[in-house]
Amino acid sequence: MEDRRRFEKLVLPHLDAGYTLARWLARNATDADDVLQEACMRALKYIESLHGEQAKPWFLTIVRHAFYDWCARNRPDELAADDGSAIETAADDAGIGPEQAALARDESSALAVAIASLPLVYREVLVMRELEELSYKEIAHIAQIPIGTVMSRLARARALLQRSALLQVIGAQRREGTR
Amino acid sequence: MTCTQSKTLVAAHADGELDVLRGYAFSRHLRTCAECAAEHRGILALRARVRAQAPRYTVPDQLRARVLASVEGARDTRRPSPERGERWRWATAGAAAGVLATLLVFAGGTTIVDRRAREGLAVEAVAAHVRAQLDDRLIAIASSDQHTVKPWLSARLDYSPPVQDLPDAGFPLAGGRLDHLAGQPVAVLVYHYRLHTVDVFVRPAIGDVALSQRTLRGFNVVTETGSGMQWVAVSDASADVLGGLVERLAAGARAP
Repeated sequence: MEDRRRFEKLVLPHLDAGYTLARWLARNATDADDVLQEACMRALKYIESLHGEQAKPWFLTIVRHAFYDWCARNRPDELAADDGSAIETAADDAGIGPEQAALARDESSALAVAIASLPLVYREVLVMRELEELSYKEIAHIAQIPIGTVMSRLARARALLQRSALLQVIGAQRREGTR
Repeated sequence: MTCTQSKTLVAAHADGELDVLRGYAFSRHLRTCAECAAEHRGILALRARVRAQAPRYTVPDQLRARVLASVEGARDTRRPSPERGERWRWATAGAAAGVLATLLVFAGGTTIVDRRAREGLAVEAVAAHVRAQLDDRLIAIASSDQHTVKPWLSARLDYSPPVQDLPDAGFPLAGGRLDHLAGQPVAVLVYHYRLHTVDVFVRPAIGDVALSQRTLRGFNVVTETGSGMQWVAVSDASADVLGGLVERLAAGARAP
């Protein structure tokens, strides 16, 4: 009763933020639905533990955990230690759902595809910084990594995205040239 | 400020992570260092593209409704607060259950609804059993005498639960208490079976639900209907043992 009121007051305002993170982590709507539902049940269960901290990073921590648990059950390969070498093959990775494939056909969202193709550890940090607008400290707390690691992963994510953007420009120029 | 250090600082600056003093010093540096300035512009440009092209999603109405329904429908696994808001809580739970039931009927048929309802009942019964054990209030009226337990329960309920002591079957009656199930006060008979404690929730039956068994969080839950009563046994004892008990209780209660 009391818990539900607190949930409505503290968590519901961040439902979209939680959903955005879930979508970018799971990379498709159906799985993100499941992750968000599970996260909400956990948030309700542990709402008592939310005291004197920001509700948004608190809830996003739960969403992230819910995703990792879901991922361990459904896509264990994705959680394999990832040093970023996967990026070379990530573009044609089977992990990219039909939705991303559809996006890829749309040139304007080529960047969205590039983000979706980032290895999980870089993707989550980038999404938390640029879309959720969280601070290094909050990201460090949510992802349970030191701030230095947040910074290095973020730098790597940006470098990868800039490179993929550059490749697209070159690709477009080549297509122009052969025309 | 050397530019090898600045690589990280450029990002920290672009991310608004530098304090006022260092931020000020760094923006001066950007004016004189073409390399850092280009890096800085690159990050800002990328951010602008990310925010323009990578969607921030909005929870679809359907999903929001599902989340709200499951939040409303969630039974507290912790101790309830029956002293206030109880009616409202059950009213909303009822509404949520109604929504859920409608969806399920759409999805598949009444068998699913029955199964779901039983599942909810089992979850509640286990929660109540665990709560009572944790709070050490399993037994409010301790007696193996059915003529003591029955009036105690009847006086506190709007029905009179059949009470039997079954020592010969291995189930000596230890006592009873009141608890809550599906929003209603319910009689609980507490039996011992060897070293196990068995809770049997007894309430007027709604329809004739056949014997069913479930395992939740390591507890077995066995449900039976008999003589207008529904019997829900919860224990860490085996399902077979519980089945034997509820069948006996349901059958015994049929006899005059």
